[in-house]
Amino acid sequence: MRALNKKVYPAGWQVATVGFFLFYMLVPIISTYVFSVATRWDRTILPEGYTLEFYKRAFEASYFTTTLRNSLVLSLATVLVSLLIIVPTVYWVHTRLGRAKPLLDILMILPFGIPTVVLALALVQVYNFAPLARSPFLLIGAVVVYSMPFMYRPVSNAIQAIDVHVLTEAGQSLGANVFQVLAKIIIPNILPGLLSGSLLVFATVFAEYTLTSLIVGARFKTFPLLLVEFTRINGNVAAAFSVISFTIAWLVSLLILWVGSKGQTEKVESIQAR
Amino acid sequence: MAYLELKNVNKSFGGVAAVHDFSLDIEKGSLVSFLGPSGCGKTTTLRMIAGFEQLDSGTILLDGNDIVPVPPNRRDIGMVFQAYALFPNMTVRENIAFGLRMKKTPKEDVEKRVDSVLDMVRLQDTGKRFPHQLSGGQQQRIALARALAVQPRVLLLDEPLSALDAEVRVVLRGEIRRIQSELAITTVYVTHDQEEALSISDKVVVMNKGLIEQVGTPEEIYRAPNTRFVATFIGTANQFPGQTSEKNKVICVNVELLTGSLKEFNAGQSVVVLVRPETIQVQVERPQQENCNIIPGVVETITFHGAVTRLGVNINGQRVVADITVANTQPVSLNQKLWLTFPPEACQVMAAEE
Amino acid sequence: MSPSKKTRSTASDWLGFAPFLLFCLAFEIVPILFLLRGSFIERSTQQFTLQNYIDLQRPIYVNSFINSIKISGLTAIIGVILGTFIGYAVYRWPSERVRQALISLSDVTTNFAGAPLAFAFVVILGLNGVITQFLLQYLDYELYPKFSIYSFSGLTLAYVYFQLPLMVLLILPAFAGIKKEWQESAQSLGAGTFQFWWRIGIPVLTPSLIAGLTLLFANAFGAYATAYTLVQAKLSLVTLQIGYMIAGEVRQNQAVGMAMAVLSLIIMGLSIWIYQAATRRARRWSKA
Repeated sequence: MRALNKKVYPAGWQVATVGFFLFYMLVPIISTYVFSVATRWDRTILPEGYTLEFYKRAFEASYFTTTLRNSLVLSLATVLVSLLIIVPTVYWVHTRLGRAKPLLDILMILPFGIPTVVLALALVQVYNFAPLARSPFLLIGAVVVYSMPFMYRPVSNAIQAIDVHVLTEAGQSLGANVFQVLAKIIIPNILPGLLSGSLLVFATVFAEYTLTSLIVGARFKTFPLLLVEFTRINGNVAAAFSVISFTIAWLVSLLILWVGSKGQTEKVESIQAR
Repeated sequence: MAYLELKNVNKSFGGVAAVHDFSLDIEKGSLVSFLGPSGCGKTTTLRMIAGFEQLDSGTILLDGNDIVPVPPNRRDIGMVFQAYALFPNMTVRENIAFGLRMKKTPKEDVEKRVDSVLDMVRLQDTGKRFPHQLSGGQQQRIALARALAVQPRVLLLDEPLSALDAEVRVVLRGEIRRIQSELAITTVYVTHDQEEALSISDKVVVMNKGLIEQVGTPEEIYRAPNTRFVATFIGTANQFPGQTSEKNKVICVNVELLTGSLKEFNAGQSVVVLVRPETIQVQVERPQQENCNIIPGVVETITFHGAVTRLGVNINGQRVVADITVANTQPVSLNQKLWLTFPPEACQVMAAEE
Repeated sequence: MSPSKKTRSTASDWLGFAPFLLFCLAFEIVPILFLLRGSFIERSTQQFTLQNYIDLQRPIYVNSFINSIKISGLTAIIGVILGTFIGYAVYRWPSERVRQALISLSDVTTNFAGAPLAFAFVVILGLNGVITQFLLQYLDYELYPKFSIYSFSGLTLAYVYFQLPLMVLLILPAFAGIKKEWQESAQSLGAGTFQFWWRIGIPVLTPSLIAGLTLLFANAFGAYATAYTLVQAKLSLVTLQIGYMIAGEVRQNQAVGMAMAVLSLIIMGLSIWIYQAATRRARRWSKA
C-alpha cells in the first residue's frame, strides 16, 4: 500500500548488470537468427546480404519432414503417457495415500540425479532384446522418466491449490465414483496445471537429443538429430534449423505464460520485490 | 515539555497525502495508541518516528532534539513489527543480543541483559531455540524482548498482535501493558483494533485519512467522541440525522429527540444525533417518565451475544439497535411492540458533515 | 505434508500407486540396479570383480572425470556469483513489468541447452564468428588461437549460458524471503547496511547459495548434447565417454562404462542430496 506510487529508477549498477545479462542471453540467439538469412557473414560486422535460400534448403533437406514428424510423435506420445501415469497417481497419493508422498517425491527428484547418458546406458543394457531393444518404445519410456519432474511440479501444485479432499467427498456424496470424480471435477479444476505441465514436457522432449541419439539413433531420427548432423554439413542451414528450434521453444514458453496467467498461479506472488 | 513531539508532520506518496499536518505531544513513560482503519496514516507516522520514512515537512523532537536528520540505526528507538521479524539464522539469545552487540556492549553485560529481558517476557527457557521452533505468540514476545534489550528511549509497536490468535492476543496485550508500565517506557502502539487500543492505552489518537480525528483517554474517546467518524468507528452508535429546533430538541426524520444543551448549534442547523445501544432501555409498557426520550417500536431481529442480547427495533421505518442484558429484562419476541427509553444525556449531537 | 486426517492406507490404496511404481521400476530403478551389478561383473567369466573400477585409473578416464568436475565446478561458481548479482538487480528492479519479463526470459533461456545453443555460440565465437570478427576489426584483438569455442574455454561460455538464468530463478525466491522487517529491525537495533548483510542477509541466503551451487554443478556434470556438438573428441568428459561406449564408437569394455556411470551417479546423487538438504533449510527459515 505505502510507497507504491513512488516513481523510482533502477540504479546504475542494476542497469549494467541486467544489461550484461540481456547481452549474454540474447546475442547468441539474435546472431543465429541473422546468420540464417545472411548470404555471407564472415568478413564484415553486418552481413553482406540477406537471403531465404537456407530456409528453402532446410525445408528441402531429405528427412526434414520425417524428422519433424518423428519429433512431434515422440513429444505427443510422451505428453500422453506422462499425463496418464502421473495425474492419477498424484491425485491418488493426495486423497488416499498420503503415506506415499515422500516416496513419490523421491521418485520424481531421481531423474534430476541421473545424467541422461547414464539413463541411456542403463536402458540399453537391460532391454537388449526385441521388440524393445533400441526401439522408439524404449525411447518413449526413457523420455517419460527424464521429463517426469516437469509434469509433476505443475500438476502437484495445481492439486495442492484446490481442496481435493472436500471436492472428492462432495462428488462422492452426490453419487460419483472415483473415475467420475477425477474426470468431471478434479481435472477441470487443475486444467491450467495440466496444460503447463504438458507444454513443458512437449518443449523438453522436442529438443531432446541425448536419449534419442544414444538409444535409437538413425533408426528414428528426430529434429535435433538432423540439426546436429547439419552443423557439420552446412552452417547456414544448421542456423535455419536452430532458428526453427528456438522459435518453437519461444512459442511454447509464451503459451505456458499465457496458460499461467489464466490459472491463478502462485509463483508470481512469491517472486515480488519489497 | 513532552518527551516525544511531532510538529506539523506531512507525508505524501505519489501526490496522495498519507499524513497531513500531524502534531502530537507524547508524555514520557506513557503509552499512546494510533487507532484507525487501514490506510489512515498511522503506520506511516510510526515509521517516520522510527526513521524508515522521510518527512515531507515538519519536525520530530525526541527529548527536545530534532531526530529527523538522524538515521534509523542511531535513533535509539525500539521497534516491534506485525510479522515477527526475528532473524531466522540466530537463536533467541542471539536475536536479543544483536542490538547490544551492535553497541559493542561487554560480553558479561550482554548475557546479563539477555537473561533479564527473557525473564521479563517469561520465556527463560527458550534461549537456545531458533525462531521457527517457537509459536507466533512466543516469537512476538522475543521480538519485544529484543527491542527492549537495548533500553531504547522510545518503543514503537506496529500492529504487534494482528497476526496472532484471539486468545493469545488478549493475554499478550496485557503483558505488553505490564512490561511497559514496569519500565515506564514511552511507547507508541499502532492498531486498527479499537478494543485493543481502548484497553491498553493512556491516550488514544484516532486517525482517519491522514488526519487526527481526536486525541483523548480511552474513556473520553468512547464517552465523548468529537466527530461522527470517532463515534461510529469506536463501538456501535445509532445515528439520527435531523435539524435542531427549539431548545434541547432535535427534529429527526422519524422522531423527535430530547437532547442535552444545543448552545453550540444554530437553530435549524443540520445535525446528527448519536445514541449508543447500551444506553437504550427497553420496556413492554409505556413508562411514565419525565424528561426522557420514549419511543415506540417493533422488534425485527433478536441476536444473542452472550452477555447482552441485541435487538433490532423498527421505529417509524428506521432501524435502531438496543442492547439488553439478559438479567434485567423480560423475554422479548419478534414483532413485539416495545418502548425504547433513553435520557437526553445519552444523545451525542454533532454537526452533520457535507 | 498431506493436510487432513491420518489415513490408514490399505492394500487397495497401494494398488492405485502400483502402475506408477511399476513404470518407475521398469524404466528407472531396475535398469540402474542392473548397471550397478554390471559394474562389478567380469564380462567373460561372469564373476564378481573390482577390475572395472581399477580400470578407471587409466589416464583417459581420470582425465574425463577431472575435466567434467572442473567445468561443472567452474561454471557453477561463475553461475552462482553472477546469477546472484543479476538476481538481486532483477529483484530490486522498480518496474514490475520489466521484472516479470526478465524472469520469463530466464525461464526460456535456461532450457536453451543442447545443439541449437552450441551452434549459436559457434555463430558468434567461432573462427569467423560475429564477435571474433568484431574484436579483430575494431579492437585489433585476435581471439584465436588463445581462445576457442571448441575447447574448454568455449564450452565454459556455453555452459554459463544455461547456468546463469537457472541461478537467477533459484535465487529470486531467496531474495524475496529476506523480509524488509529484518532489515528494519536490524537498523532500529543499531546495525548499518553492511552489518545487516554480513550478519543476517548473507547467512540467510547461504542455504540457497549452496543449493544453487550443487544444482548448477549437477546440471553441468550431466550435460551431454552441448558438449557433444561443440568439443567432440577435443575434450574428454565423463558424459562424452559414456556416450561413445553406448554408441560403440570406441571399442572399450562396456563394463568400464558402467563403472563410470555408477561413479557419476554417486557424484550427481551427492550433489542432489546436498541441494535437497540446503533447500529444506532455506524453506524452514523463510517460514520463520
